[in-house]
Amino acid sequence: MTKFLAVCSTGLGSSFMVHMNIEKVLKELEISGVTVDHADLGSVANGDADAIFVGRDIADAASHLGDVVALDSIIDLAELRDKVAATAKRHGLTD
Amino acid sequence: MLTTHLNEETLLFAENLGGWRDAIELVSAPLLDSGSISRGYVDAMLESIADGGTYIDLGYGIALAHARPERGVIETGLSALWVRPEVLLNDEPEHPISFFVCLAAADSTSHLETMAELGVLLSDDETRDALLAATNAADALAVLTSGESK
Repeated sequence: MTKFLAVCSTGLGSSFMVHMNIEKVLKELEISGVTVDHADLGSVANGDADAIFVGRDIADAASHLGDVVALDSIIDLAELRDKVAATAKRHGLTD
Repeated sequence: MLTTHLNEETLLFAENLGGWRDAIELVSAPLLDSGSISRGYVDAMLESIADGGTYIDLGYGIALAHARPERGVIETGLSALWVRPEVLLNDEPEHPISFFVCLAAADSTSHLETMAELGVLLSDDETRDALLAATNAADALAVLTSGESK
């Protein structure tokens, strides 16, 4: 199972919104085989997930966590759809 | 439900603010008054932003102001403030904000339903535009109520 993790600074607010939106987008794109969760930056280690989704402001701070996907906006579904699709492809979930 | 937290008392509108600090003070005032947060929580949000915490900028001129529960949340609450014209978060030109939401989360789970609803609402282009365009609490409540049914 591939794991996508939404990460924000506190793990309370925006990471949960991104978590929900990733699930929504995966469903729209009909991509299965992905678990989604959210966490705060301080509690995540490299290897915890296959891809880490973060807001652009913490992308640098998260760069050690592996495959980091930086979002310009936390609530832009169109942007998220493109980036989730690209990430799924990168991880061999789609052709 | 969103409107459990966001109502006539917690939906605020302000014009010509001196800056982002004024916005944080104003948006947190109803939560301070109701006893949801302590003064320390307001200071924690101010410190966090001044320390470069512009990650609370969600995009579209919307900021989700918050700090950790242990910094002074007494009970979960939410408030919102429309500012016209926009203010610059931490005085940074790349972070103009016209709508502040203040989140006080008492723990890491009790606010999740509310956050999910807010996320759905803010991620929908039409609903977000309508919310941002609100000029009074009645307009905003109408949008929030319509959003709850989505």
